[in-house]
This record gives sequence, structure tokens and C-alpha cells, in this order.
Amino acid sequence: MTKYVTILNGEQYEVEIDKDGNILLNGERREVDFLALGPSLYSIITDYKSLEVVIDDEAGNVSVLMGGRLYETQVLDERALLMAMRKGGLGGGSGEVHAPMPGLIVAVPVEIGQEIQQGQTVVILESMKMQNELKSPIDGVVQAINVTAGQTVDKNAILVVISPPSEE
Amino acid sequence: MPEKTNINKVLIANRGEIAIRIIRACRDLGIPTVAVYSDADRTALHVRYADEAVYIGGSRPAESYLRKDTLIEAARKTGADAIHPGYGFLAENADFAQQVIDEKLTWIGPPPNAIATMGDKHQAREAVKKYNVPLIPGTPAGLPDEELVAAADRIGFPVLIKAVAGGGGKGMRAVHRAEDFREALATARREAESAFGNGDVYIEKLLVGARHIEFQILADMHGNTIHLGERECSIQRRHQKLVEEAPSTFVDDDLREKMGKMAIAAAQSVNYVNAGTIECMVDKDKNYYFLEMNTRLQVEHPVTELVTGVDLAKEQIRIARGRPMTHTESFMNPRGWAIEARINAEDPYNNFMPSTGKITTLITPTGPGVRVDSGVYPGAEISPYYDSMIAKLITWGETRAEAILRMRRALSEYTIMGLKHNIPFHINLMNSFSFITGQIDTNFVEQRFQMDTYENNPTQQELETAAIAATLYAHRKRQLAAQVVAPAKRDTSNWKWVGRWERMQK
Repeated sequence: MTKYVTILNGEQYEVEIDKDGNILLNGERREVDFLALGPSLYSIITDYKSLEVVIDDEAGNVSVLMGGRLYETQVLDERALLMAMRKGGLGGGSGEVHAPMPGLIVAVPVEIGQEIQQGQTVVILESMKMQNELKSPIDGVVQAINVTAGQTVDKNAILVVISPPSEE
Repeated sequence: MPEKTNINKVLIANRGEIAIRIIRACRDLGIPTVAVYSDADRTALHVRYADEAVYIGGSRPAESYLRKDTLIEAARKTGADAIHPGYGFLAENADFAQQVIDEKLTWIGPPPNAIATMGDKHQAREAVKKYNVPLIPGTPAGLPDEELVAAADRIGFPVLIKAVAGGGGKGMRAVHRAEDFREALATARREAESAFGNGDVYIEKLLVGARHIEFQILADMHGNTIHLGERECSIQRRHQKLVEEAPSTFVDDDLREKMGKMAIAAAQSVNYVNAGTIECMVDKDKNYYFLEMNTRLQVEHPVTELVTGVDLAKEQIRIARGRPMTHTESFMNPRGWAIEARINAEDPYNNFMPSTGKITTLITPTGPGVRVDSGVYPGAEISPYYDSMIAKLITWGETRAEAILRMRRALSEYTIMGLKHNIPFHINLMNSFSFITGQIDTNFVEQRFQMDTYENNPTQQELETAAIAATLYAHRKRQLAAQVVAPAKRDTSNWKWVGRWERMQK
């Protein structure tokens, strides 16, 4: 029996798979016919519902495209679950603003120590001929600014770090 | 009589879907083709699709697709005797057109002086004014800040700040209140400077509730100029078109007749030859104003092709060869309805943020009334160097309703994985009541369209199925990884194993 916890939309789903491929979802038995059709293309039949799904993964995150909707999940096995718990719980928002693509920093309209709100623009990045406003994922205080205007950055570079406001 | 020229090989000075569109037209005509490519495009589809391909430099456009001498040298090396510029890059660069002609190559496009006049917004307005073409109130280009501030007050808000060297939605900014004007002006100048190397801007009155409607023009060297009807392009975001259709629900026979005549007059004002587009703004009282002329084949040309039956890319080549064009009468009665959805690598759930990456899965829709002009394939890398448009999905129906239903069906078949794209936006748009009834204007997407209005939350059953599918996927991948690793684990060291193997071979 292999046990997983899959996180989707902030909810945890406990999925157990035994040697014969039987599936338990949150402790309940489910009849699932899951068949690979090609690279990342699968057919899944459950409760007579026939669905074609496309599944991909990147860095431990598994994305499922089903019925025109993209479901972004994290599948954790027992070891990964243990590590995530030690790091401070599941699904906590990170205060790092990454470059979603390579580009040129146009402006950084915040300062270290500044109090900012979720959704506030912290970096303006130019890429694909467009200026994109990168916003803070959380409320907090600007802890570090790693770039300056005019600099080019690679994909996934950490541009600005925001620390959550200290609890009083 | 104009001179007839033969075209024996065409170099396409472009990339992506438009390069493939032009290569296809050449193939239909039996003309061999030459593609050009940058470092980022060695494996691009246009390179694989052409008969010959020439490397022209680095990934940034300035190092490759914008290098005039290199492109002409590429034509020389391969014996191409004509150059098609596509759209974007050097398509509306009069100097390049002139250079091509001076090198005794055929330029598949309009005359350089027509490009130059229409490319300069002030000159364009002066040229068409003489032909009684109606214009939006505005200022000439290149005024200093203080005069622009005064002019904005005189014209009345809202106004639009536009970059002289801009186009295609780049370098434009709407200002609704006088107190925001100076800051917006500074931003517009900064963007124009970084994007085009020219910070000059001008101002135009912003029409509220207006539609963007344009007319397709074809003109040959034998004095024929016709229009092929209108395209409705009001579904835009930040002045970037997202969906186009032909005809427009807003244009009746009377308006088509009047605007068509005006479009032909505007083209004739610069002695236009080849394919071009007259872009207009039309307000809710059906007053229309000339906006600009695009002196090239446009992204949205397929919708016109589907309702007229004319292959515009082929017609461009025919005109460039000095032949009279196939049709010499304007198209007043569109056949059926066509809609185009631009498929962009942009995330509609995150402010249309561009997305780069590798396309891992690509399933392209087919079936009745569906056309896909695409520049990508499974495994293709979408780089940050070029435009985010990766394909165009075009559907045709006998009626607008049929075209919309086919678009819905085709969008649901379209599967692209590996990067974020705007197919969910198009699905929601095709379900929106305003779009279905044609109640749209150029502000519709930005001001009255929300992604979540048309979406239901996933059901518990759907979430459970997705969670199970994701888990089974991860589980199988882990099992597979375990199998791959296992055979490599030998009970002795690899050196011992090699030694044994060698002894056995003796």
C-alpha cells in the first residue's frame, strides 16, 4: 500500500494505492480505469464518465488539464509530506517574487523596509515587448531587493523578498 | 503597361506562423522558398517547412530579423529573386523596401513611398485629408510636453497618447483625467524610447464606446483598387487585438458601401499597390474616422479569406509579378461568417502575463469549418525574444451563430500544455452574452469582461477525479523511475564487471 497526500485548491486528498492497483480516496474505495494513451495523454473512466486528460509535471507540481480546466496539484508521498510539515506546514504563501520569464528590469517601485500589500506592484519587468507588473503575493515588509532597473534577469530569478508582518 | 516580372524563389524575411502562411502560398503556386532564422529559431517550424534556410544571427530581433543587409545577402546566396516581409519586423520599413528594389529584387509589398507616407501618422493624415477621408481630432507628432498638455485640454478628455513609431497596440496610453496626463506622458515616452528608440508621441481624441472596424484593400499596378469588406476587431486588450471577425454585426450594406469607398480613396491617396488595411474607429452613431493604414498583410487576414474565397497571400505575389489581380470588383456580400481567435502564450488568470517554456503537448482542432495557422509543434520552445502569439484559430460558419459554435467546439479540442495560454479566455468570451449578441466595443474586454463571470467552480467530483489522476500519474512515474534505476545496481563495482566482461570476450 502506497500512501499519498495530494493538494488541490487548498484541499488535501488522501490517496492510497495497493499492490493490485486498487484505489482508496480519503479511505473510500474508488473504481478507476486510468490508461496512458501517449506522452502525457491519459484516458480516465470513473462512474461511467469518460474523460481525456493531459498531465504534466514540473518540479514536483503535477498539472492536470481536464474538460478545458487546468488543475494544479502537488502530490506528496509519505517522505515529502514529512519534510513539508517540518518546513512549516502545507500551502503557506511564500513572499518571494520570481521572474516568470527572462527579461529586463524596468523599475523597482518599492524600498527595503517598506510596508506593502498583497497585489501591490513591486517590479516592472519587460519581456516579449511588453511591460509586466509583478505583484507581491502577500502582505508584508520588503526584506530584500536583488535587482536594479536596467538589469536583465533569468527565468525564476528571485527579484524581491517580502517577509510577512511580525505578529504582535 | 507595368512590367511583368517572374518570381522564381521567395525569401521570407520573417518567422512564426506568418512565415509558414507565406511559404504555403508559395507552395500552392509552385514557387520554392527560403526561410531565415536566428539562434533561437534553429528548430522553428518555418525553418523546417521551407525549401532552404539561412542563418542570420542572434536571437534578439535587432541581431537577425531586422538586419537589412544580412537579409538581402541571404537572398543573394540562395538565388531568391523576391522578398516577402510578412508582418512586423521590416514589413513597414520603407528603407528596406527601397533597398530590396535597388538590389533588383522583387518586393512583395506596397511601394516604399506609400509605406513611408502611411508610416508617418502626420503625413498619412495630410494625404488622406485631400481625399475627404474623415479624421479623429488630434495633434501633429513630436510636440514638446507643454504644447501637448495644452492640446489635450483643447481636444478634451479622454485622450490617447500614441508613439509616433508605434503600432499594433505598442506605445499607446489612454488618459481619462487632466491631472493624470503628465505622468502618463512620461511613461508613454519612456516606453516608446525603449521599444522603438524614438520617444516622440502625439495625442488623439479617445472615442468612447467606439468599435475598431477595418477594411481590407487590394490594389494592382493596372489601376484596380478594391475592398474585400470589413473586419470587426473590437475585442482588444491594451490595444492588442484578441478576436477578429468578418463581417461585422454593426456594418449594414449602406455603411459598408460608404466606408468601402472611403477606404479605397484612402489607399488611392498614396497610389497604393498590393494588400493593405484601412483601420477605422466607428462610434455608436455610425460616424467613422480613419485611424491609420497598415501597409502589409495583417494577422487577421484569414477571416477575410474565408468570407471572400480570396487567398490574399497568393494575390500579393500575383500583384508583385505585375499581373492584374483576380477580382476587380469590391466584395459587397460576404459569404457566411468567420471568426479568428489569437492563441497567445499569456495567462488570462494573471493579468495576461506572457509565459515562456516548452510546449509539451499539442493537440490541434480539426473538423468542418476549422482552420489553424500555427507556428508551433510539440516540443517547441517559446522564447522571450518574440511576440507571444503562437497560433491563430479561425472558424467559418454559414451564420455567425454557427461560426461561434464551431469556435467553441474547436477551442475545447485545442490542447496546449507546458505554458500558460489564453484559450480559457476565448472559451469564456464565446460564452459571453455581450459577445454572442455583438454588443462590443474596444473597451469591452478591459472594462466589462471578467473571467469568473462565465466559470463555475469545479464540482467535488471533478476535483476528486483530478486529484486521483494526478496521484496515479505521480505513482506510475515513481514506479517507472524505480525500474530504470534497478538494473544499474550491480552487486559488484563497475570496474570489476568490465574486467569480467573482458575476460569472457577473450
